[in-house]
Amino acid sequence: MKRFWVLFFMFWPLLALYVCWVAPAYDWWFPGAAASPLGQRIDDLFYLILIITTVVFIGTQAALGYVLWTGAQRSDEGSEERAWFSHGSHNLEVIWTIVPAGVLLFIALYQMDVWAEYRIKTSFPEEVRNDPIAEVTARQFEWRIRYPGVDAEGNPLPLMPDPQPTDLYTVNDLHVPSGRPVMINLRTDDVQHSFFLPELRVKQDAVPGLVIPVWFEATKSGEYALLCAELCGWGHYKMKARLVAESETSWQTWLQELKAEQEFDGVVETSEEE
Amino acid sequence: MRVLYVTSVILGASAILQGCGRMQPEFSHRDEFHELIPAAQVVVEDTLREHYGSPTDMVAWEKLPLKFSAASGRVTAVEEGTATPSSLQVSLNTGADDIQPGQNVDWLTGTLLPASGEEYTATREVVSWDPETSTLTLDAPLPEAPAPGDRFVVDLGGVLEHGRTLYAEHCQHCHGVSGDGAGPTAPYLNPPPRDYRLGKFKFTSTQTSNRATREDLSRVIENGIAGTYMPSFKLLEPDEMQAIVEYVLWLSMRGETELNLVTYFGELEDDEEVQEYVEEDFKEEFEDDISFLARRWEVSQEPAALVIPKEGRVEVTPESLRRGRALYVSDKAKCASCHGTEGLGNGPQTLAVQKDPDGNEYEHPGLYDDWGNPLEPRNLRTGIYRGGRRPIDLYRRIYAGIKGTPMPAFGTALSDQEIWDIVNYVMSMPFEEREPGDGTKPYTPPEQLATASPE
Repeated sequence: MKRFWVLFFMFWPLLALYVCWVAPAYDWWFPGAAASPLGQRIDDLFYLILIITTVVFIGTQAALGYVLWTGAQRSDEGSEERAWFSHGSHNLEVIWTIVPAGVLLFIALYQMDVWAEYRIKTSFPEEVRNDPIAEVTARQFEWRIRYPGVDAEGNPLPLMPDPQPTDLYTVNDLHVPSGRPVMINLRTDDVQHSFFLPELRVKQDAVPGLVIPVWFEATKSGEYALLCAELCGWGHYKMKARLVAESETSWQTWLQELKAEQEFDGVVETSEEE
Repeated sequence: MRVLYVTSVILGASAILQGCGRMQPEFSHRDEFHELIPAAQVVVEDTLREHYGSPTDMVAWEKLPLKFSAASGRVTAVEEGTATPSSLQVSLNTGADDIQPGQNVDWLTGTLLPASGEEYTATREVVSWDPETSTLTLDAPLPEAPAPGDRFVVDLGGVLEHGRTLYAEHCQHCHGVSGDGAGPTAPYLNPPPRDYRLGKFKFTSTQTSNRATREDLSRVIENGIAGTYMPSFKLLEPDEMQAIVEYVLWLSMRGETELNLVTYFGELEDDEEVQEYVEEDFKEEFEDDISFLARRWEVSQEPAALVIPKEGRVEVTPESLRRGRALYVSDKAKCASCHGTEGLGNGPQTLAVQKDPDGNEYEHPGLYDDWGNPLEPRNLRTGIYRGGRRPIDLYRRIYAGIKGTPMPAFGTALSDQEIWDIVNYVMSMPFEEREPGDGTKPYTPPEQLATASPE
């Protein structure tokens, strides 16, 4: 029975190794492969940390197994070896302080450029840094989106801080061009929300009173989930919207259609019915 | 110690079981219902239960102009040479596109409809539906051939049941089980959630005398109502949207029916009068009112009910804005009397004492809606338009008013061009320069103002 517990505790590092090994293949951690280049780098960081923690876990479990095994041997019948008391080892203390600190320092430095690109505005891709594509305002419980609209020639206008007569509005439906970085200005009308694009690995809190720039790039055209990751109230689960990434031309066509819909004066309806 | 242990186990178990118990949803009644004499309450309750059922056991009352089921229709011919056919030629009243394999087919008339108390043996599943030949193929032969003209229904009550489930998930916690706008979240909301039981919905595309269209309701569900707690449910599938709309209409019709019933019985004072009324006039009056209610909703769904401008939107020019402004403050359109000369929603009517539908004065000055809620005229400078921000939405608000509120209809008083001028002006208001002294910029002395060029 003594050795059963040794085996019991040795089972978990093996399971951890297996889980760590197969998790990426089965998407246990993420909803599919990252749909953005920065998301891919975030995944790489995640898996690096997963490998480090798995190795550490296996190492500590192996040490635990060794201690249990030798303890079991000592208590076997006929064994003359006795347990011995150790007050502590200065060298060991130094080692297991410095090694984890070194690992943490490595992770902190290694991820710094990803973090900067993700969060620090001066590190954003230059083409989007001062050119938000839309303003996304979170509200209990929906996402209201303001686009700057298009001029008479059909060219997208710049987004102004305050609403303009040319602005276009949608709700729960964020359309962006795919294959290039885009930036949105994130706000909230009421409580703290969190702008979450799980497939693109984007998560950013929306804080009352702040306008927070968030950039992302959808690699492929398609429809992605836009959720609120903050428990922002009773109807939090209702804040499900969509991000539609599409080619530059179809995005511009969509803007034109949105403009036409928003300027609809009911007259086309008459001719359709006739 | 042992007693303490046993007691705590019993208490814990009961707390868990209590928590796990499912609350049975129930329709609540209008306040007026509770003022009726008990005998009248029984009749009203029974009548409602007979025709609408309960939240968990609904009745698909055919008199109501609703899409209860996927499809309904009549048999036109049966497969030749067989006494127990599994293939029928039919003509459909509704739902030609909604028939799916696996749905049940039930009979409403003919020999296949069992007499009361008998077991239903003629329910079959759809195997295929061919719209070109109007042929419905069933999974097994029927016990006997239906006669031409026999009526059937596909997926009996399915749409409404689907709607009920979705309503409970998304809408009920604000709008309440009965659609009375008194769900558990409602006390925390301003404006309060809509009480459907008057059959009135504010933001419609229809004429003043008409009800909302199904599209009006689905538009509100899809886009939410900006500036209120009603969020957008854009990602609902079309069949989910349809089911919710039908269920909301069903609740609305149930509420209207209850209102009619409590009105009939509200005047009766003793059991004898109730009995006399039930035996003599009640049935006929009730039938008439339901037919009227159904027709009113039906008519509202027809294209003729829509508000459609004869002329397109007037171009937004300084002249149009000037005309719009002049109308806005004029006695003809009277916009400023509620919305204020600056559009801030603070016109003189907001300080006047108004009368309720019974002719009594409200306790506090200001405007009220038909549900008795105090109402603030919209601040037009916020750029938030609850009924939609398209020009046609604003046109319709001015042309047909906002139902259930003091916002009147100007369709007959103003020409299309005048309405469009007001629409243009109202849409420009959030971007309009404010007057000096309103707190948004430094005060300009009058003499400087006079010398400034009035472009």
